[in-house]
Amino acid sequence: MADLAALQAEMAQALLAGRLEDIGTKVQPGPILAREALSVHRDTALGGLRHVLRLGYPTVLALVGEDFFDQAALAFIQRAPPSSAWLTGYGEGFADFLADDEHARELPYLADVARFDFAVEAAGNAEAGQDGPALDLGEAVLRLDASLRIVELDYPADAIRDALAEDEARLAEIDMRRHRRPLALWRLSDGAGVRRLGPVSAAFVQGVLAGEDLSAFEASEADLRTLSDEVFSAPFARLSLKSRDGDFP
Amino acid sequence: MTMHTLPRAFAMDAASSPAPSQVAIGRPIPAAAGIGLRAPHHAVVRDDRPAIAWLEVHPENYLTPALADELAAFADRYPLSLHAVGLSLGSACGLDVDHLMRLKALERRIRPGLMSDHLSWSLAATDTGPLALPDLLPLPYTEEALGVVIANVDRAQAVLGRRLLIENPSTYLEFAASCLNEAEFLAELVRATGCGVLLDINNIAVSALNRDADPAFALADYLALIPASAIGEIHLAGHAVRDLPGGRRLRIDDHGSRVSVQVWRMFETAANLLGPRPTLIEWDTDIPELPVLLGEAAVAQAILNAAAEPDWRHG
Repeated sequence: MADLAALQAEMAQALLAGRLEDIGTKVQPGPILAREALSVHRDTALGGLRHVLRLGYPTVLALVGEDFFDQAALAFIQRAPPSSAWLTGYGEGFADFLADDEHARELPYLADVARFDFAVEAAGNAEAGQDGPALDLGEAVLRLDASLRIVELDYPADAIRDALAEDEARLAEIDMRRHRRPLALWRLSDGAGVRRLGPVSAAFVQGVLAGEDLSAFEASEADLRTLSDEVFSAPFARLSLKSRDGDFP
Repeated sequence: MTMHTLPRAFAMDAASSPAPSQVAIGRPIPAAAGIGLRAPHHAVVRDDRPAIAWLEVHPENYLTPALADELAAFADRYPLSLHAVGLSLGSACGLDVDHLMRLKALERRIRPGLMSDHLSWSLAATDTGPLALPDLLPLPYTEEALGVVIANVDRAQAVLGRRLLIENPSTYLEFAASCLNEAEFLAELVRATGCGVLLDINNIAVSALNRDADPAFALADYLALIPASAIGEIHLAGHAVRDLPGGRRLRIDDHGSRVSVQVWRMFETAANLLGPRPTLIEWDTDIPELPVLLGEAAVAQAILNAAAEPDWRHG
């Protein structure tokens, strides 16, 4: 098995890096040159991964265009190729890659846009309608949807994605100033739901998701009103009154 | 709240798995012409329910909960085959167990009439960890590689609890180390594992033409070496032709056009010898409107109907 294992490791790495001559000596001479034949496989493999990234990062693609995106995608694929045939979720590090990419520095919000694209994809791929973490509130129980996740961004990636999907002219109206923007994302029947949260709500939800003891969570009257509006009545949450025998929905 | 529609993306317990014969298989795939179901046709097939003998999908495209739900709805209405592309049955490092279990979960839910993958590999163990490339990479046809594929097919069939069909791939090169031809390799695999064969006639043509061989002779080699009873499905597709320097031509299995005249003739030969078999029209790039696929399936069905005439086949 040693010969085959070595051949496959060498061939996979050569295809990824474009060093096709590394494999040429192992190929029987024929009417199609080894370089030509191996190029078909390289084009298919890298083209497929590029396609996965394009699907997963539609807002990034719309912002930077196909040429820039494809160059960045190829560089990312070569640095972080997949380790499994299951490509759902492939490309998680693309946002950090873009943040470090000197060619992307003109668009400081690009990495956050990529983080948001990835979060939308992840939420939409989660199981629907499953109860996640719960918090005992005394007379009631708060249950969060199992798909719920909080993403904190510095730039308004949600508004950018909406504008590009609906009316690009709205991009000019977006407040692009940098400040912390917590977002809740969860699975809907046909995609992902997104809701902006204030800092109190974000801290509260993150505490529940982390299973923290929130008995000492301090909230003012105003904070409680905010929690009621942003969390307790949100589509990703379910508040149930307790009965003597258990939850009373 | 904002709604975001998802883009469409392009999976052990062997000891407790029942033997292949113990698991009930879903709605059987008829010996008729079906089509590969791809995303652009989901809506029209779901809403209009056109008359199609059966459908085939790549299970790797349906491994999220929402997409598995969508596939289950199709399986309720049509006989369905799962044609995997990611098992990497030729990998010397063995199977990706997590991926196999994901496929098993989908298989348990869908209960496909047939399940298949390719005589190829896509996963390698490198110094820096596993490396998976989404392509059907070629194997050297050696005794060592045969042992690897036999072990992987045995394990996959045990875990899935069913017989797999293994498809002959399109090849663009041959390894200097090969000591068997592809048909001999597949015939040995069938003998050792009890798997079936998915005979892709376009792939036979592409591989033969790429080595300046006669596709008809190549097909005859397959039909002579592989037991007819093992051939459980046939694939038909179009391929691209790229001109190379020196008047040479490279055939690329892109599934992006109509079935070639040469492949139709080869299909007639195979159908007349084998009799009707489940036959699939594959179209994966530059995907046309559904009626174009159905038209190609109708041509295949006419050939299958003619092959069903006993006087023609045995006279």
